[in-house]
Amino acid sequence: MAERSFTNEVQKLTIGAGETFHGEGILAVTKALLQSGVSYVGGYQGAPISHLMDVLSDAEPILNDLGVHFETSANEGAAAAMLAASVNYPLRGAVTWKSTVGTNVASDALASVASSGVMGGTLIIVGEDYGEGSSIMQERSHPFAMKSQIWLLDPRPNLTSITTMVEKGFALSEASNTPVMLELRIRACHVSGSFAAKDNVRPEFTLRDAMENPVRDYGRVVLPPSNFVHEVEKIERRWPAAVAHIKKHKFNEFLGGHKGDVGIVVQGGLYNTLMRAMELAGLADSFGRTDIPIYCLNVTYPLIEDEMRGFCADKRAVLMVEEGQPEYIEQALNTILRQADLPTRIVGKEVLPRAGEYTGQVLLSGLQAFFETYSKGKIKAATPDTPLDPKAQKKLTQSVPIRPVGFCTGCPERPVFTAMKLVQRELGNFHVSCDIGCHLFSILPPFNIGNTTMGYGLGWSGASAFNTPADKRTISIMGDGGFWHNGLTSGVGNSVFNKNDNILVIIDNGYSAATGGQDLLSSRAKNKTRVTGQPIENAVRGLGVDWVRPVNTYDLGTMVKTLTEALTTDVKGPKVILAQSECMLNKQRREKPLTNAAIKKGQRTIKTRFGVDADTCTGDHACIRLSGCPSLSIADNPDPLREDPITRVNNDCVGCGVCGEITHAAVLCPSFYSAQVIHNPSGWDRWRAGFRGAVIGFLQRRADKKRARYSFGTAP
Amino acid sequence: MLAGWIVALAEANGFMAQSTSVPGVAQRTGATIYYVELFPKDAAKKARQEPILAMMPVPGDVDIVIASEMMEAGRALMRGFVTARTTLIASTHRIYAISEKEPLGDGRRDTAQIHQLAKDTAGRFIAFDMDAAANTTGSFISAVLFGALAGSEALPFAHNAFEDIIRSGKKGVSSSLRGFELGLSEAAQTTRSNTVKHTDPATGVPPAPAVAPLLQRLNDDFAAPTHEMLRHGLTRVVDYQDPAYGTLYLDRMAAIHGLDQAQNGSGKSWRLTNDVARYLALKMTYEDTIRVADLKTRAGRFARFPDELGTTDAQIITVTEFMHPRVQELCDILPAALGRFILRSPKTKAALGVLFGKGRKIQTTSLRGFVLLYGVSGLKFMRRASLRFAVEEERTKTWLDTITNTAPENYALACEIAGLQRLIKGYGSTYDRGLGNFTTITGALDAFKAAPNAHKQLKTLKDAALMDEDGAALNAAMNKLHKGRKT
Repeated sequence: MAERSFTNEVQKLTIGAGETFHGEGILAVTKALLQSGVSYVGGYQGAPISHLMDVLSDAEPILNDLGVHFETSANEGAAAAMLAASVNYPLRGAVTWKSTVGTNVASDALASVASSGVMGGTLIIVGEDYGEGSSIMQERSHPFAMKSQIWLLDPRPNLTSITTMVEKGFALSEASNTPVMLELRIRACHVSGSFAAKDNVRPEFTLRDAMENPVRDYGRVVLPPSNFVHEVEKIERRWPAAVAHIKKHKFNEFLGGHKGDVGIVVQGGLYNTLMRAMELAGLADSFGRTDIPIYCLNVTYPLIEDEMRGFCADKRAVLMVEEGQPEYIEQALNTILRQADLPTRIVGKEVLPRAGEYTGQVLLSGLQAFFETYSKGKIKAATPDTPLDPKAQKKLTQSVPIRPVGFCTGCPERPVFTAMKLVQRELGNFHVSCDIGCHLFSILPPFNIGNTTMGYGLGWSGASAFNTPADKRTISIMGDGGFWHNGLTSGVGNSVFNKNDNILVIIDNGYSAATGGQDLLSSRAKNKTRVTGQPIENAVRGLGVDWVRPVNTYDLGTMVKTLTEALTTDVKGPKVILAQSECMLNKQRREKPLTNAAIKKGQRTIKTRFGVDADTCTGDHACIRLSGCPSLSIADNPDPLREDPITRVNNDCVGCGVCGEITHAAVLCPSFYSAQVIHNPSGWDRWRAGFRGAVIGFLQRRADKKRARYSFGTAP
Repeated sequence: MLAGWIVALAEANGFMAQSTSVPGVAQRTGATIYYVELFPKDAAKKARQEPILAMMPVPGDVDIVIASEMMEAGRALMRGFVTARTTLIASTHRIYAISEKEPLGDGRRDTAQIHQLAKDTAGRFIAFDMDAAANTTGSFISAVLFGALAGSEALPFAHNAFEDIIRSGKKGVSSSLRGFELGLSEAAQTTRSNTVKHTDPATGVPPAPAVAPLLQRLNDDFAAPTHEMLRHGLTRVVDYQDPAYGTLYLDRMAAIHGLDQAQNGSGKSWRLTNDVARYLALKMTYEDTIRVADLKTRAGRFARFPDELGTTDAQIITVTEFMHPRVQELCDILPAALGRFILRSPKTKAALGVLFGKGRKIQTTSLRGFVLLYGVSGLKFMRRASLRFAVEEERTKTWLDTITNTAPENYALACEIAGLQRLIKGYGSTYDRGLGNFTTITGALDAFKAAPNAHKQLKTLKDAALMDEDGAALNAAMNKLHKGRKT
């Protein structure tokens, strides 16, 4: 079960012509797919398109009604390979993933499908995780399109433009027998808005039709001599067909004015940000009306050369707004103009930064620099207020800590790293190879564990070079998400085959947690539409690992012991520790409503949570350094003599028990207590509590009386 | 939720609205930043064109900034989103970053500067503890923030239009409305200073006869500016043991006070007396098993549970302690000779280790658990004869001697030596580590105590010791010190 449920929202997908669709960008894309008559959809989750996968998942009944097959692919490569269905048959299909990481994984199949060419329209929707909030290396998807010859759409970020481009993209794909990639930036995925809906379209030619009437065309298989034919076909037939189609159907837009000797070329996705910057510079109004000519590229590959030449011909200089580097469009534009002997000056990275997201502020500075040189006096004055002066800003940098990220309250992965920290105290530090997933937070304080992260599922292969006799072993981490994504073969299989003697810790929390809690092959939860419940232990043993130890992650003592054994045993060969416990977010999502309902109904229910005694806590925070749980915070020390803040347990404690385990395993202080709160207690509960209370109360009163003999009273 | 409400509110009241968001790194504890743009429908109709709404804010172009935590307000300031045109609505509560929680001492950042900058920079600054407001009303902070937004009058919508949006929701309408109302009224009073309330205990209970002479002596023999600290210290020491122990505390303090007087302490706010009063009391009330058992079984503690756990009389609470008494802790409270014997005899130690090797869970609310701890707390009478008492007394004397010897030569250094006691706290490994750092620093003292800035150097070392538990910062500081002396 995914983190966010779209069960209500997906009903919007059924609306038809004459109605207006209101909602988030991602939901709009799904609606556009259905309006385009797709036969199949696949993909792999990851921000910013996790929600697209969740929407599709929750919309499965609607998809089934329309005869659309939806697949939660094992990884992006598997998703891309799905597009093979459109090579021989007039079937429309779409796949989606997080880019560029997902595109990296998919690129093998993408190159193949681009070489074969497609008969049915194929759309690859990539969520570009670039700029603020991104969690991956900062790269562009653009070169993937260039190298494999896939057309790249970058629509203006409003729902009408986005959905129109989805529909137009399929037509372009079919007209040019080429897959089309639709690039959506993170904010466009989550933007709210509306567009005029159309009826959903049931595919005329179905998957079943294809399966029952197979068609084979040797010319479409990537093997000599066809592969050489494909290369020529790409250049001589598909490319010109695409250019003609893009021009004819006006994919790109000429916006703004038509006069003057300067103009702007912009990627469609950056159009709104550019217009805001222009408005602030006094060059446009809120509706985007401006006398500066703007050529908006809703298709960023291929470039339409004569449109480009026409736009630039009468201009002295053109500002090229292209985010990221290398600046492929700017380079191509210069070539186009040079070959046409046009002297127009293309100004891009000269005034705009090579690295980083193009925010309104960045574009405003770029505009100012551009107009200062090429149309002086055009910008009167920038209107925004002056923010904080740099001196105060610098001072603030010192007093504002970076935004805290880390494991959730009660997270079952945290104690694994607590155990590793405790083991390292005894045995010294180890080389730790990390993977992709929530567990990567181990590299941050308070754990500071982990050396590298090479990719999803690549944790163990990231340490495969260290396969040589040594006095210390290496530890690799992998989540269950990464394991099924490819770690099973690239990590475990690889280690067995190459006689690795090191350790892999698989964080088996039952979900692809980092991407939003989607189900996996090994999820313990029942799933109506997928097969779950396939234990990782069976898979690992099946590959030939003999040393396998499943450990409950909340059992800190056993985890410490198991890690120590794995690190010190004389047994040779790959060692796998399965750190098992359900993702707390998912667990709470499932159990909390049930518990609350039971309490409301009057059933006897026990809730556990932890607390810290302010009296005995001395404010050393060793517990925080070992746990890092967000519900462990600090508060003023109520003791007037002590200066350091005490540890405090917040109300969001879920009572996972790790605090107690840590105090025991690390021999910390006696300040932690666990409290079991019995809601709707039974008669026996009450009687027992009453009896205990009476005896304890008697003893306490006796002690209080004794203490009263030494009371200092209170000052009047 | 808040962004959704604002969009709905605008759309229902003649505005177009667009919201975008960037989920923080890790959708988890990382914050999600929402950006909302509103545009009047009338203006769009007049122009017969759709406005272009931006995907992200531009510094200097933001009308309202809502920060659900004080440091978020600081971040908005830092990024230039707060200017003279901005209404800044911020909750003053803190969610501490791990870098603030992690240090061995007090790593909390100061928010006073952010308050000041916010006040100076924003057109309007509305700040109060909205987390507390949400808790008292049983709602979420979003509701309080929404109320504060209404109260700020920064949006051209009537208050009941805000309420209508909350009412159109399905879940938690009544609690959200309560949170909203509180936010609204607090914001209407605009900026509020966030003063900490000092709750004075009920007045006028006279001291018990057994301790009255001690208080009398305190008031008679010591300078007034030291009374508060001494009273805290004295109370703690007597509560820990008995009035005789209080007398010992005052005897020791009298010597320090005399020394302070000789060094013209009155002109230095009696810093030495106050510092030693604080740390001597803490030193004399070291945490042993008896003390822990005592504190764990007190009625006052039990009375705090419902508040700490948010329970009512309708629920029953059982409380379990996590204790880890080692052989060391057992020997601490045994008579000194016996304790020493066990610690020196590996065989006995090993045999006892079987009993005391692992952590224990003790249910204090059960009769067995309570009586066990209650019994241990009763061992107070033999504390003076215990091994740990002897050891601590020895350390206290040495520490006091160092202070006494240093004060006439370097008053500030003597105060810093007193303050070193801050390093020694906690239990088990924590205590050992603190004591180790204390010993390392005092051991190095002889080498630099003659330097005129010795007190500064000592403070640097102390701060370094509180930085990390591996001792990396302290080692670096010690190395620097040694190097500095050589050149």
